[in-house]
Amino acid sequence: MRGLHVYVLIAAAGLALALAGQLNAYWMHVAIIAMYYGILAASWSLLAGYVGLFSLSHTAFASIGGYTSALLVKWLGIPVVLGIGAGVVMCCALGGVIGWVCLRMSGPYLAIFTLGFSEIVRIAISTEDDVTAGMAGLHTAPLFQSATRLPYFYAAFALLAGSLLLMGFLVGSRWGLFLRAIREDEQAAAASGVAVARFRILAFAIASGFAGLAGGFYAHYIGIMTPSVGDLDEMAKLVVMTVIGGMERLPTAVGGAFVVEYLLELLRSYGQWRLPLFGVILLLTMRFARNGLVTPFWLRFVRLGEARVGSRSSARDLTRKDSAT
Amino acid sequence: MSARAELVRGVGLVKRFGGIVANDAVDLVVAEGDLVGLIGPNGSGKTTLINVLTGHLPADGGEVLVRGERMRGRPPHVYAAMGVARTFQLTQLFGRMTVLENMLVPGLTRPHSGWDEVARRARGYLEFLSLAHLEQLPARNLSGGQQKLLELGRCLMLEPAVLFLDEPFAGVHPRLRDELITRIRELHQGGRTFVVVDHDMESILRISRRLVVMARGSKIADGVPDAVRADQNVLGAYAGL
Repeated sequence: MRGLHVYVLIAAAGLALALAGQLNAYWMHVAIIAMYYGILAASWSLLAGYVGLFSLSHTAFASIGGYTSALLVKWLGIPVVLGIGAGVVMCCALGGVIGWVCLRMSGPYLAIFTLGFSEIVRIAISTEDDVTAGMAGLHTAPLFQSATRLPYFYAAFALLAGSLLLMGFLVGSRWGLFLRAIREDEQAAAASGVAVARFRILAFAIASGFAGLAGGFYAHYIGIMTPSVGDLDEMAKLVVMTVIGGMERLPTAVGGAFVVEYLLELLRSYGQWRLPLFGVILLLTMRFARNGLVTPFWLRFVRLGEARVGSRSSARDLTRKDSAT
Repeated sequence: MSARAELVRGVGLVKRFGGIVANDAVDLVVAEGDLVGLIGPNGSGKTTLINVLTGHLPADGGEVLVRGERMRGRPPHVYAAMGVARTFQLTQLFGRMTVLENMLVPGLTRPHSGWDEVARRARGYLEFLSLAHLEQLPARNLSGGQQKLLELGRCLMLEPAVLFLDEPFAGVHPRLRDELITRIRELHQGGRTFVVVDHDMESILRISRRLVVMARGSKIADGVPDAVRADQNVLGAYAGL
């Protein structure tokens, strides 16, 4: 039997889908972009929060996914959905390779390595302008032939919900337990029989695949791909979103993406000054609420109706209570 | 000893760290049913030997065999899967995970294991180790002695053939140390094989059936405790004791 919060979430999702048509074009665009960041934040939280691999190449993978899809659609004339799928496969494969190369790295070494990779990707895309159109931007085929953004809203919603379900299933499974064990202590995990190298590579591949999925959707929604999609500013924004939300839970990471994206739009009149504000919020979060600002609200929310549902006794539920939720 | 099945064999093990030879051609055989005390002064190479025998450090020379199988190049999780479990000199738990989750991790790595069956076994071992009432606490909140017990419990979840315990009594309250010794004895009587490293001679002598002494990277004695204690090389290495 599921907790009350699951039914509340389903009802809220139904309401959001039913009322989406009431949003004006501007706020619908903000919502779609927030969901794009939501997929990125959740998948980065899978890597950085659950496994402890602080990679700074996540938006680079979004960029790779977007460019792969856009170029394949342009060159081969394949359907956009197939292009996005190819981008996901490409990111999974490349993510696996990066995970393999980084096997013995952690902490600052991993961060610097992945930052270097991210910069190589950005510079390669900027420089190879006969292929990628460089800084001028690569025009992409639209995902839908529609006068409104509503189909994109539904698509983004479906991708976010599907991604969260898949990632939630992963972190609630025995693999999720192994990934958290690796985060806590790789040597002890290995002594406990966990194939540490295999799971680290797998985590990189899966998280990069989701980044590629988000990037592919973004490319065919926004209509143009530029190298800035995967630059350091975007990565910093993603870190801010995930850390402010709470990087050790998927829903709080998504919550962080939504809150930050909404506030960025709300404070748009302050121009560049809104960015230092988020820097200050990030500093305060790290100092006073390392689990993120959304986490306490989320934990209160998941306890809704707990007395009515009763105590869950199976071991799997007991581990899920803290991880997948 | 020869009638019993050989579980782990180290042959001519050499391990160097820069110019320091931590293990210098060490041979060690651990057979089924052994309860070996591995002792030696600080820096004699005991922990390095355990690290090499459990796959956590690659040997620079010699080789490790588990149940007769050559292990060169194999990662530590393969040793664990083959029934070689270990604890660490400084307790290494999954600190932010609960006590129960710490137990579930090794249990679920075993092939064909199911959540409910593993949880049942985990709770059984937690009961045995007097930790059952703490199962929902984060492991880092346990006392030092309880952490040592949990680390032992985590090893047991692998249903290992042999357990290497690296300084299990270090920094442990005497009451919990007695509990730990009692549990090790019970497990040994139940058929488990142990190799226990410690500086606490009294505790080691209380449980060991066989003593192995290391000094300056070499094995200098291996035999029943009374004979080893009378050995001149051992007395020399422990001069002043």
